[in-house]
Amino acid sequence: MNADDGAPRLTRASVLRLSREGGVAHMPGLARPRRIRCDRCSEAQRAELQALLDEAARYGERQVPGADRRLLHLGVEDGSETPVWSLTVAEDSVSDSLLRWWRLALSEPFSADESGPA
Amino acid sequence: MRTMPIRPFLPPYLLERIAGSRNARQRDRAYRTLHDDQGFRARAGAAELPEGSARRGEPVRHVHSAGHTRELPGERVRSEGEEASGDPAVDEAYQGLGATYALYWEAFQRHSLDDRGMALLATVHYGEDYENAFWDGRQMVFGDGDGELFNRFTIALDIIAHELTHGVIQHEAALVYADQAGALNESLADVFGSLVKQHRLGQDVESADWLIGAGLFTDRVEGQALRSMAAPGTAYDDPLLGRDPQPGHMRDFVETQDDNGGVHINSGIPNRAFHHAAMALGGHAWEEAGQVWYDTLVDERLARNSDFVAFAELTLDNAGRRFGTDGEVRRAVHEAWRAVGVLS
Repeated sequence: MNADDGAPRLTRASVLRLSREGGVAHMPGLARPRRIRCDRCSEAQRAELQALLDEAARYGERQVPGADRRLLHLGVEDGSETPVWSLTVAEDSVSDSLLRWWRLALSEPFSADESGPA
Repeated sequence: MRTMPIRPFLPPYLLERIAGSRNARQRDRAYRTLHDDQGFRARAGAAELPEGSARRGEPVRHVHSAGHTRELPGERVRSEGEEASGDPAVDEAYQGLGATYALYWEAFQRHSLDDRGMALLATVHYGEDYENAFWDGRQMVFGDGDGELFNRFTIALDIIAHELTHGVIQHEAALVYADQAGALNESLADVFGSLVKQHRLGQDVESADWLIGAGLFTDRVEGQALRSMAAPGTAYDDPLLGRDPQPGHMRDFVETQDDNGGVHINSGIPNRAFHHAAMALGGHAWEEAGQVWYDTLVDERLARNSDFVAFAELTLDNAGRRFGTDGEVRRAVHEAWRAVGVLS
């Protein structure tokens, strides 16, 4: 499948990978990929992630001008850790909620009864 | 099993690489993508940019607030000649724009970013907990930081000047933002960022800290700044941020796809060369070493895809032209590039 086709449907086995690149400095610790395991998310959280991925996919991969800007790499893996989809978008083009998930992805797991970060 | 997407994202640096390739079809397509995108933005920016300064030596500044949204430019809060707002981020940005204009005007007689009086625009309070500052092709944008690792980005004058210098570069050599040309782009932004700070504080080379972004980290971070021009690779070593990845010599050059081909990483090498030259010459760094680097930045022979060697050779030529071919300045510049392994 192609990034233009839209984001894949997330299942309980899906793992979402998020990584940020760029900015005024390259900091290896902050550039490391972060993972969100859908089996640790509630149905509501998974639905929210799905909506955020769909929104990012609709915006698509566009070039941005200037310098020191950041990109957000999004990836989905299936249950066997096989990458099935990826998209790289300008950070400015994605929802604040997706960035909140990136911040919280360090502190996994989310329990099923926890509310999401949005 | 589904497969990975077959059309990978092409970040600007890769497009730039393809644009310079020998494959005519790929080159044409890449150029068209870059050109269309930049052309569209240029038209949009031209319509929105406020009137600049008609009087050489006098800036026109506008500081806006995005109010923690990501709308640009946001609400105008302080313009040229207006009283301090009382908002530290707004007033730091206003002062930083002025200090940057002052260095470029007083040291190099440059009238704003385009040397034609272009209005200086900054937006503060961008996004929520946004820990970055960037140049968007027409203005500077500053986040407030997350408060945990990063303070507000206007706190560091050299970062304000760094972002503005990207605007100067855009109007001059327009160095490709990838690989060695991108690292030169980043290094020039650091060099003039540091010079603005030194000029503002009246520092000589001995009293300057040669750090980029000092004050940005909160107390929780084990580090002193984003980068060190004097000792690349030593600015921070923190459990969350990792270790400063900058090399200071060509033998440690980092080949990577990350960070647009390592633009914020390998910039440590030309940064250290500048520091080396400035220290050898002494006094105010903007008067000799800075003058040579500025002459090179505006030199029409500096190609968009210049590598370190091409840039270094131009600095030697410009040092000779301005200060004499047998002079101390040219010798110091040559020795600086030798010290970092760029020239022999």
